[in-house]
Amino acid sequence: MATLRIDKLNKSYGDAAILRDIDLSISEGEFVVLVGPSGCGKSTLLRMIAGLDGVTSGDIFIGERRVNNLEPSQRKIAMVFQSYALYPHMNVKKNMTFGLKFAGLAQPEMDRRVAEAARMLQLGPLLERRPRDLSGGQRQRVAIGRAIVREPDVFLFDEPLSNLDAALRVSTRVEIAKLHRLLGATMVYVTHDQIEAMTLADRIVVMNHGRVAQSGKPLDLYYDPANLFVAGFIGSPAMNFFKAKVDKKGAATVTLSGDGLPPFDLAAAAFAPPPGAPVTIGVRPEHLIADAPGQFRIGGAVELVERLGETSYAHVRVAEGVTLIAEMRGRDAPKAGDSIILGAPDRDLHLFDERGERIAIG
Amino acid sequence: MTRSRITRLGVHAVLFAYVLLAILPILLVVMNSFKSHDAIFGAPLALPNADTFSLIGYQKVLAKSHAVTYFLNSMIVTLGSMFLVLLFGAMAAWALTEYKFRGSTLLALFLSIGIMVPIRLGSVAIVAMMRQSGLNDTLTALVLVYVAQGLPMAIFILSEFIEQIPKDLRDAARCDGVPETRIFFEVIAPLLRPAIATVAVFTMVPVWNDLWFPLLLTSSDSTHTITLGVQQFLGQYTTDWNSVLSALSLAILPVVVIYVIFSRQLISGLTAGAVK
Amino acid sequence: MLTDILTIMPTPSQVVAAMPRSRFIGLMLLFLGPAVAIYTLFSIYPLLATISLSTYSTGPTGDHIFVGLANFITLLTDSVWSKPFWNAFFNNLLLFLVHMVVQNPIGIALAGLLSLPALRFRATYRTLIFLPTMLSVVIIGFAWNLILSPLWGVAEGFLKAIGLGAWFAPWLGLPSTALVTLSLISVWQFIGIPMMLIYASLLNIPEELVDAARVDGLGQLRIFFHIKLPLILPTIGMVSILTFVGNFNAFDLIYAVKGALAGPNFASDILGTYFYRTFFGYQLQVGSPTMGATVATVMFLIILVGVCVYLFLVQRRMLRYTF
Repeated sequence: MATLRIDKLNKSYGDAAILRDIDLSISEGEFVVLVGPSGCGKSTLLRMIAGLDGVTSGDIFIGERRVNNLEPSQRKIAMVFQSYALYPHMNVKKNMTFGLKFAGLAQPEMDRRVAEAARMLQLGPLLERRPRDLSGGQRQRVAIGRAIVREPDVFLFDEPLSNLDAALRVSTRVEIAKLHRLLGATMVYVTHDQIEAMTLADRIVVMNHGRVAQSGKPLDLYYDPANLFVAGFIGSPAMNFFKAKVDKKGAATVTLSGDGLPPFDLAAAAFAPPPGAPVTIGVRPEHLIADAPGQFRIGGAVELVERLGETSYAHVRVAEGVTLIAEMRGRDAPKAGDSIILGAPDRDLHLFDERGERIAIG
Repeated sequence: MTRSRITRLGVHAVLFAYVLLAILPILLVVMNSFKSHDAIFGAPLALPNADTFSLIGYQKVLAKSHAVTYFLNSMIVTLGSMFLVLLFGAMAAWALTEYKFRGSTLLALFLSIGIMVPIRLGSVAIVAMMRQSGLNDTLTALVLVYVAQGLPMAIFILSEFIEQIPKDLRDAARCDGVPETRIFFEVIAPLLRPAIATVAVFTMVPVWNDLWFPLLLTSSDSTHTITLGVQQFLGQYTTDWNSVLSALSLAILPVVVIYVIFSRQLISGLTAGAVK
Repeated sequence: MLTDILTIMPTPSQVVAAMPRSRFIGLMLLFLGPAVAIYTLFSIYPLLATISLSTYSTGPTGDHIFVGLANFITLLTDSVWSKPFWNAFFNNLLLFLVHMVVQNPIGIALAGLLSLPALRFRATYRTLIFLPTMLSVVIIGFAWNLILSPLWGVAEGFLKAIGLGAWFAPWLGLPSTALVTLSLISVWQFIGIPMMLIYASLLNIPEELVDAARVDGLGQLRIFFHIKLPLILPTIGMVSILTFVGNFNAFDLIYAVKGALAGPNFASDILGTYFYRTFFGYQLQVGSPTMGATVATVMFLIILVGVCVYLFLVQRRMLRYTF
């Protein structure tokens, strides 16, 4: 296993900048998930770590080695692709040993590694089959097996679950998590699904428009998003955002109000902008409760309730064009047409300035 | 990085060398067709300059042959056969893909035999048929033969294409009560436009360049095609280098011009059809 | 390819069930009629008529007498007919072999180069390499005739310039080299077609597969031989059978450069030119439709055998990989 360090990495195609000033440091055995919307550059970053795409400027270090100019096979990495990329004309065993043969490994060693991987992933009965005779989930396991036998320093995963159906995605996700614990390997995993990110990662790197929006432990990103983008990306359903402005600014507290939002005080004077400045208030659906401490109150008419069983989501119209989603538990969720007022404790509120950056509350 | 740079240069070198091999002969012919007789032999690889430029070859060709008639004949035959191949081929492909009836599979197989088996082998009978029906030495005979030749491949390509058209369109038209013939001509046919490029490549080029059937089926100057005309002219004036080079160039240039203009469509048509 | 046709037939449409039978027949006649009629009349019927004609001979009064397989026996054994026939047949075989050995490997190599990722000028290379295929065989044949001609000296001069002047000979004029030279000219012209077909097939291979191979440590050359080549074998098979059919049907180039006599001394005679002479006659012999039909039938059988071998032995073994 090895560490992975990325220093001021930039990537452009002609004039189009894909990645800007990426700095990332991954420890040995860490599971890092690169997550973000389509086009944010996460796959490009992964390919550059693998060596499939070149570096425009900056450095990539695997372990102590600077790998910028090394071919993929020289970097001691292994990659699991979105479409599995299994060689159709070879059986499973051959798929897994193909690269090893060219690395000059002896037959007994190759057999040992295949047997080991097959045991880990229950591939034993499948070894003689061809990819077209395998199901999607089986193909994915073979793809993972092919990566394992390379005994790499870093595992790279490029949206490996995207092509699987929902149920299979959940079970394979669990298998990957177990694999990580078993191997203790350094893994870099790319996905657009924030649930995969939250459940698998030791650390999440949220990317947007070629930059790192925030990087940290999953629950840190959940409870303390650094900006509007991360706040809205992590968590499902997404965080509610309300446009507000600063009414008054005192020594310790500020008074905020907005559409559908009566004025309330918040202990955020230290970093808050002056009166008149626009801010955004964020609060997660699961944090909106009926009898909340603190001054924050918001409410209106319930337009629609989506009932999922024990959990329901109420869509509440608080003002013209402003709706919030609140998560309610139990069977006494409100009905459509009811009026409702909700609040949240100060510690569950998030404040962002007009550039979208977090304003500390406390 | 430098190692792959060198390989890249190597790749370009090989491709460039082959391109030279591919077009140099043609360039040579066209270049020299504009030169005077002595210049052709004196400095064959030189471009025509003020001293050596001469149109004498072209003048002779246009004076001594019916080049314009031949060209028109080729146009009529090629465009005519392509039109009929497209029309009849599309109708047949539609009928075979859409309506399944007893024997339709067999019929499809029957029509596809023509892809593999060359039609020329039946020439003995074709010539006899044409003579008997009085179609000998007509452009109609050529068109009929070329349509028969082009139909199997066209039906195959068009069938694959029609398969791609979403069934919803026909179902919606049927729900609206549109009669079957109108469904074909007004709903399906306009969607076949991309396939026309593919069919055109497989149909027009072999027809335009064909020597065999014009040789067998046409005997008078008024029905010769340009390919046959050029071949006979070349046979007649073998030693007259100016005329020969000019005749060749006249035959080359229209095709090259059209090819360069339509090259992207032609090549995408060829690759699209080939992938199937 | 033929088996593909069987897979595109869908299940019956409900409209067919609802339509009155007479209307349906009328509809089918309208749509299928013209194509089937022209095809049957001018493709299938002449072929069958020719095969049938080969079993007849022309009697002294000019009428046809049924002789069964006599014509075939004559063609294959009577030295007047069989010597030129077998000459033409083996020449045709050589033509085919030259194409298989030269045209297809070079076509595959060119396609491989053109399909490399991020290649600049790719479209230009493709367009220019395909240009000769667009031109008429007559033009190509004659142009090369001029270039290789000792009178003009272009080829000779070129070889001298690269130090191989001693190699030059009037290749088209020598019985020993004429056929091979003509075969190479044909290869030069038609290489664009296998190149494009294989290029299209290579494009179909997903990029991720190549990426996986790179991660596995293969360089581009190894990727081509171990990954790409096995996956395009079905296309190579198709190219081979098309080459076979095309070569055994060839005529235009030889006729355009050497005329019907396919000289020098019949060295470049192939089945196509032999058929032409047999049917229409030439200086030394009167044309014979029945013997011409016989030659045509034999050509048909040769091609049929080749196609059947391909369909039943080769194509069945080759698996098409869908991605």
